[in-house]
Amino acid sequence: MNSLLLDQRNFVVGASQDRVWRLIGKVIFSSLPGLENMEILDENTFRALLRTQILGFRVPLKLKGKIVDMEPPNSFSVKLFLAGPGGFFKADQKVTFAMTPVEQGKTALACKAAVENMGFLPRLLLLGEARRFARSTFEAIEKRLKDLA
Amino acid sequence: MRVAVPEKWDLEYDVVVVGWGSAGTAAAVTAHDQGAKVLILEKMAEGGGNTSICGGNIIIPKGKEFIEYLDTLSFKTTEREIIETFVEYALKNGDWIREMGADVQVFRPLEVAYPTMTAGAGFPSVRGAETAVKYNIKGTPEEGKPSQRLWKFLAGLVAKRGIQVLAKTPAKELIPNAQGEVIGVTAEKERKTIHIKARKAVILTCGGYENDPRMKWDYMPVKPLMFLGTPGNTGDGIRMVQKIGGDLWHMSRLSCLIGFKAPEFEAAFWVSFLSEGFIFGDKYGHRFVNEAGIEIHEYYRELSHFDMEKMEFPRIPLWAIFDEQTRRRGALSRGTAGYNRDLYSWSLDNSAEIAKGWILQGKSVAELASRISVEPKVLDETIARYNRSCKAGKDEDFGRPREDLRELEPPLYAIQLWPALINTQGGPRRDKDSRVLDPEGKPIPRLYAAGELGSIWGYLYQGACNIGESLVFGRIAGKNAAAEKPWA
Repeated sequence: MNSLLLDQRNFVVGASQDRVWRLIGKVIFSSLPGLENMEILDENTFRALLRTQILGFRVPLKLKGKIVDMEPPNSFSVKLFLAGPGGFFKADQKVTFAMTPVEQGKTALACKAAVENMGFLPRLLLLGEARRFARSTFEAIEKRLKDLA
Repeated sequence: MRVAVPEKWDLEYDVVVVGWGSAGTAAAVTAHDQGAKVLILEKMAEGGGNTSICGGNIIIPKGKEFIEYLDTLSFKTTEREIIETFVEYALKNGDWIREMGADVQVFRPLEVAYPTMTAGAGFPSVRGAETAVKYNIKGTPEEGKPSQRLWKFLAGLVAKRGIQVLAKTPAKELIPNAQGEVIGVTAEKERKTIHIKARKAVILTCGGYENDPRMKWDYMPVKPLMFLGTPGNTGDGIRMVQKIGGDLWHMSRLSCLIGFKAPEFEAAFWVSFLSEGFIFGDKYGHRFVNEAGIEIHEYYRELSHFDMEKMEFPRIPLWAIFDEQTRRRGALSRGTAGYNRDLYSWSLDNSAEIAKGWILQGKSVAELASRISVEPKVLDETIARYNRSCKAGKDEDFGRPREDLRELEPPLYAIQLWPALINTQGGPRRDKDSRVLDPEGKPIPRLYAAGELGSIWGYLYQGACNIGESLVFGRIAGKNAAAEKPWA
């Protein structure tokens, strides 16, 4: 299936590209609410539990992430595989971060999250939740990076 | 001390390699490929040593400026020509691995843990630091952790060549002849002493002394030290070389993380944190360091403060104090490296370790203080002061960066930590040709060494250089040993 955009966000941070690169990993993980039981399988692959609100319920999602296309300090993507309890739904997502130096030592960030694979019913029921989650995560990342810049 | 030459040899080989890790493999394979008949002696039931349980990264610099970097780090404890030789060969570590049938991939982690295992230089401000690049054996997590992939590859090289390995056969003594040439090894096999003739040379690659309490107490700068690595490293090679008059170097050097020591486990567990909600306190509850800024291999330097009045190391053991978010974020010991990696699976939310009493819990600061026998007033002030730093976004005391600050709120947890050796670096002094030297700087004929046994890292240690060095000087030792003319 064609990928389906969940959210994208562009903003400028008052820090150099190298500093943003050094911060971004920790910022992402600290901006994901409900991230628990994280296992780093190797330097680019992790597993975790993500406790999130879906249709008014707090649901634990199994999350497996793999960092791909890493081009320090310019960009990287995270391929995410999410699974709901009892295989209720499964989804593949790709989140991309691109960092470009702009004037006066600042850095422009472009964040984009897209669903690459998700069944019809989960899409019908959960796409809105997924969009809200992506948006709030990007907002948290922007806020944290701007705080630290 | 004179060791008697035996009247009868039990086994005969061209080259005898003592110890089977990465250095031993590189030496044995190189000597074999040069036409030598090679035997590997290994004291443990299986090979691998620290190679199979380390981080698994290999340094492959991207330029000769790496010489300047290492020369600065060595603080003149290692001759420059040895560093130059190392870099010359380390530049080709990737080519050697590919020639041997595997491939490498760049180690490029996103930095999410404390302490951070950096992708490149451990000391980025030093000239030439940009040339430090770490690699590991290409593969996926499903094919094993980097060190498991590395050891699988190396062990396969030995198996493919049919190089004989005698496991559970510790070498006991080197056998020199009247001219001082090392012509064989005495070993112990099934409680019997055996004499093995080495027609060309002996290569020592049997690691350091991180599991020898006496040597550690004698030589290490902080005490006591736990160990994370293989229990097999008990200084055997050092004693063997001392007996025949070899010189030693770098004996007080170490690669040291922090670890938790459970009474029921021989080795310590390497501990790190996946969230910024933690601090370190000394045994009295005083904070003493920028916890996020310690170079991962050099922890002991921050713990080495000695109190002359109390006659103690007040930071040994230390307490790591952390919050609920950090507790839930991930296992404190993640099985990345260390001897316990395959012996115990730490729970992902640390709850099993709380139940075991390894991690202590307090609903309030006062309760936690009483559980770790720290004065409640001291711990309360430590945490309050740290929280004020977090609020201000500036750690006036120790300069912990703003991005690594987060206030600590109860419930709080504590785990007792010790300096924990990955490996020692000291052992026989050697030259750029891997030859073991006597106190006058003369090579002891037909004796070579490589790897952690007398490594070239004499002051500050750059991560991934132990494996890099093992492959480099293992190859050099193997090549030179195979080129020796047989004495018999």
